[in-house]
Amino acid sequence: MTGAMLLQARGLSRRYGSDDTLVRAVDDIDLDVPAGQALAVMGPSGCGKSTLLQLLGGLQRPTGGEVWLGGRRVDTMSERALAKLRRDRIGFVFQDFHLMDELTAVENVELAALLAGQPPRRARRRATYLLDRVGLADRARHLPSELSGGQRQRVAIARALSNEPDVVLADEPTGNLDTAATHEVLRLFDELRAAGQTLVVVTHDARIAAVADRVISMRDGAFADSLHVGR
Amino acid sequence: MAGRLLLVGRLLLRDLRRRPLETVLLLLAIAAATGTLTMALALDDVAARPYERTRAVTAGPDVAVTPHSTGTDALAELAPLTTADGVTGHSGPYPIAYLTMTAAGKKVHTVVEGRDGAPALLDRPAVTSGTWTRPGGVVVERAFADALGVRTGDTVSIEGRDLKVLGTAVTAARAAYPYAQWHYPGSILVERGGLVWVDPADIAALNGGRPLSYTLNLRLADRDASAGYGSRDVYSSWQDIADANARLYVAAQTVLVIGGWLLTGLALAGVAGIVAGRVVARRRRVGLLKAVGAGPAMVAAVHVAEYLTIGLAAAGIGLAAGWFAAPVLISPGAGLIGSVGGSPPALRTVVAAVALALAIAVVATVGPVLRAATTSTVHALADSPSPPRRRGGRVRLSRRLPTAVLLGLRINARRPRRARLVTLNAFVTVTALVGILTVRAQRESFDLGYTEMANPRVERGQQALLVLTVAVCALALVNTVVHTWSAVLDARRPLAVARTLGATPGQAAASVAVAQLLPALLGVAAGLPGGIVLVALAGTGRIDYPPASWLLATMLAALLVIGAMAAVPALAAARRPVADALRSTPA
Repeated sequence: MTGAMLLQARGLSRRYGSDDTLVRAVDDIDLDVPAGQALAVMGPSGCGKSTLLQLLGGLQRPTGGEVWLGGRRVDTMSERALAKLRRDRIGFVFQDFHLMDELTAVENVELAALLAGQPPRRARRRATYLLDRVGLADRARHLPSELSGGQRQRVAIARALSNEPDVVLADEPTGNLDTAATHEVLRLFDELRAAGQTLVVVTHDARIAAVADRVISMRDGAFADSLHVGR
Repeated sequence: MAGRLLLVGRLLLRDLRRRPLETVLLLLAIAAATGTLTMALALDDVAARPYERTRAVTAGPDVAVTPHSTGTDALAELAPLTTADGVTGHSGPYPIAYLTMTAAGKKVHTVVEGRDGAPALLDRPAVTSGTWTRPGGVVVERAFADALGVRTGDTVSIEGRDLKVLGTAVTAARAAYPYAQWHYPGSILVERGGLVWVDPADIAALNGGRPLSYTLNLRLADRDASAGYGSRDVYSSWQDIADANARLYVAAQTVLVIGGWLLTGLALAGVAGIVAGRVVARRRRVGLLKAVGAGPAMVAAVHVAEYLTIGLAAAGIGLAAGWFAAPVLISPGAGLIGSVGGSPPALRTVVAAVALALAIAVVATVGPVLRAATTSTVHALADSPSPPRRRGGRVRLSRRLPTAVLLGLRINARRPRRARLVTLNAFVTVTALVGILTVRAQRESFDLGYTEMANPRVERGQQALLVLTVAVCALALVNTVVHTWSAVLDARRPLAVARTLGATPGQAAASVAVAQLLPALLGVAAGLPGGIVLVALAGTGRIDYPPASWLLATMLAALLVIGAMAAVPALAAARRPVADALRSTPA
């Protein structure tokens, strides 16, 4: 594996069933994501893009191939090592936000830092800074149920950045948002890209391309084409 | 580490606050089991401590000697004992007579002891009401007075002579009623009876001029040597007297110990049901924790910390409830002084109650928590329920059955663990109820020579049975509600699908009731012999069985309650439009 690439996959496959019921959710994919790149993976529903993201983030294990992050092979790691990897080097953003309903915005953001063993005060300082960065400093003590969809997704993005991850993996981050909220999130992603944050976003929202350095189209579990966006 | 502890504590507190009803149910289930066990263990302490206190306050002897001989022979037999090796002090000999007393219309065996107000080194009975003896009056041992319903100022008759009750008192030199060791002079046969004190000037007349018996109280250099001092019909050691007092609580203790285990079974069935539901309800949270970097150990810690906390709180509640309730089973007239339950419970009681509570919490939670900790992150995030198991045989069998039974059988085939919990709940409940009915059917009373009086040991046992009945019924109801609700929630989608295929709301509701009744039927059927075997194992001697109609009514009532409690929420759920049910439940 080349050292210059932050995230790599070789022959990556995820299959379900066998024989007549065999489904190739991800089929023999090769991928290289250099540090600082904002990559958008696009395609219709069921094409395997969410599964690809889960394989890259160690949320699922592949049935074939390899995944490397920062020079370390991910797909053979133990559950414990995977948990540490996700804690320290990966930030996730989900379509359904996946905030804890019983925790306030700031408590949700500091969750990853506390899991990483950071002292509570330091975790709180970082969470407050991140909420300020996503424009929600005045909503820090609100519960998710008291926030709009766009605000919830911004809290989720702040949480993903909590431990200064090498890469942020986002799964349909605008899928549940209205137009105004989508623009808020796109602006944030653009800021992250500009700041050099490595991003992998899977989506069927073509507007994401506006904040990506590279757009890959996916169909039936495989890459159909790849486009570098000039800026 | 501080950050992780903060996180675990934060999630724990928020979760407890967010689901107060479930938390209360968990506390109730575990506290009922620990409370009953505490009560059983506390009876030992509660019975022992007042005797120790009474012994200290009344200068109780290490040994009380009552020879078979009477008159001068008895005095001659006792005289050398006062200077025997190891004897450091004595009081007496005091005259005693084994007579018949009539009080409140009852004739009873009575040990009459002649005592005046002169100071004594050993055995100074403590007056608990009224005054001490004087000529023409009688002081009645307090437990004896309570049993007879005699109070200070009443008049009793001993061998036809009326005497005024001057007061009541307690002593540590002789066991409290009904173990005062009444016997015919010269005989080794002992019968049950009570103790009274009269003035020494009256006792000879009361005894009709016959030679009196005598009792001598001894203090030994080594008080523990008293246990092996001599034959028990003549020498009563303080340990013998303490044992006789404690015998009053044996039946209650047996009921509570067995009841504690039965309630533990019920608590396990209930807690396992609630925990499984809670863990399933928080499946998405597990996925999120894992996605942001929590390992299986951290996920398990978050869950286990919560249930251990609830277990500890329930242990505290059970301990307090059991400890304060135990003295209720010891009536104030127990022939001993000092308030019972005033001091903290013994360490072994605390340890046993806490261990039981934590064991229930751990045993009931280990399965669901392990499944949560090892579940796939992606499945957890998607909040998809674990796929039901396919039971081909049951599906084929159910094809030939009426719609409600067909659906009910398939609901159970999807979730066999829950069905097993329903069986366990019904089994333990009916076992306990049949056991309680069988114990209540036993007829036992004390023959006090001329009259029969209620057996105080049985009375305390009946009180313990009442406590147990209330606890069993309450826990069984809680468990039934928990199991039924989880079945209704889980069956929403398959029943909605069945309704789209033509099943009526009534059939859908009936199927949930059937799903609960089928496994319950097994438990109820097994509970009948279970209860009888339990009583046979725990009891001694002949068993009087309750009428078959009682047993049948108990079994039918249990099934009726389970069926009704399942049908009501199922009917409410069946009233919802099918489309709503399909929309609100994951595939």
